[in-house]
Amino acid sequence: MPGRWLLLVLFVALAVLLAGVALRPQTEPVPPPTGGDFVLQSADGPVDTRTLRGKVVLITFGYTYCPDICPTTLATLAEAVKQLSPAEARHLAVLFVSVDPERDTPPRLKDYAAFFHPAIVGVTGSRAQVDEAARRYGVSYARHDVGGGNYLVDHSAWTYLVAADGRLVDRIAYGTPAEQITAAVRKQLHQTTSKGTP
Amino acid sequence: MKLRVLTTTLALLSAGLAHGVLAAGIADNIAAVGPFIRLVPPGASATAAYLVLKNNGDRDARLVRASTPAARVAELHEHVDEHGVMKMRKVDAIEIKAHGNTVLQPGGLHLMLIDPAPMQEGDKVAITLGFDDGSSKQIDVPVLRPAPASMSMPAGPAAAPMDHPAHQH
Repeated sequence: MPGRWLLLVLFVALAVLLAGVALRPQTEPVPPPTGGDFVLQSADGPVDTRTLRGKVVLITFGYTYCPDICPTTLATLAEAVKQLSPAEARHLAVLFVSVDPERDTPPRLKDYAAFFHPAIVGVTGSRAQVDEAARRYGVSYARHDVGGGNYLVDHSAWTYLVAADGRLVDRIAYGTPAEQITAAVRKQLHQTTSKGTP
Repeated sequence: MKLRVLTTTLALLSAGLAHGVLAAGIADNIAAVGPFIRLVPPGASATAAYLVLKNNGDRDARLVRASTPAARVAELHEHVDEHGVMKMRKVDAIEIKAHGNTVLQPGGLHLMLIDPAPMQEGDKVAITLGFDDGSSKQIDVPVLRPAPASMSMPAGPAAAPMDHPAHQH
């Protein structure tokens, strides 16, 4: 009789173990991004995020060859900026980081970003610099060759919200309406004001 | 003489039949609703076209190609969201179920236009849609500025004119 119980316990333990293995996500879990500072190049010179203290910062990653995701994200960020008052907008910076520095030169990025809103600054850098910025924000990207020397870049489609003190405070999903982004930015702006920092 | 009349009649008849077969092609059962092309931002070398494909026919249809004089290449694409990473991939066909709709919209299925010709907001661009039975139809597609994600359609365009059917040829 005790032997039968032991067998049952072993069986249940095995089932739990197997279920655990089966339910584990197929991809490696990504550690939560910490955010942090980086220096990248814009057409008007280097952009060092440490100089943006006192401003709320929205950061998104993409590339200009991206016909579908990036235009929606940038048009949405542009709309969020437009919904802010001029005084609020002065305390917001928006960065579009290209993960395709081979094709996206800073001048090209400037034209591209300004098409959506003049407040959006297009930046990129060496592969190592872009990798470092991507790593800090938990952005994954991978080149996907499509033949004829052409390629697409699979990339994380989040927008990162950085508080005026440089802390990463929110990760906004692709497709989030502009109104929600505006509200999240306002919340940070008002926290900044209430703390008495600029 | 009589034989010649007969041959002519037969020729005309078969031409008529052939025409009839073409007229009954899949393309005639497909309505392209609310199509639009995204205005190409400066510096970009690709853009996308979107529409709702409505199949009024009794059999499933497959869109297998698209072409336009306004781009070097037009491809059928989809987006797959893998843990927040958007993977855009070419697909061989886009299915439209009998009496069903297939929605091509930002963040999902779309026609990718590679190396587009210069275009202005408000331009109309001809796109030819080809179906698996060899039939095709040309539609006139307006060029619109990229729209932000909106409350009503999270990943979609705010101002897509969904209620105005495309001008059909």
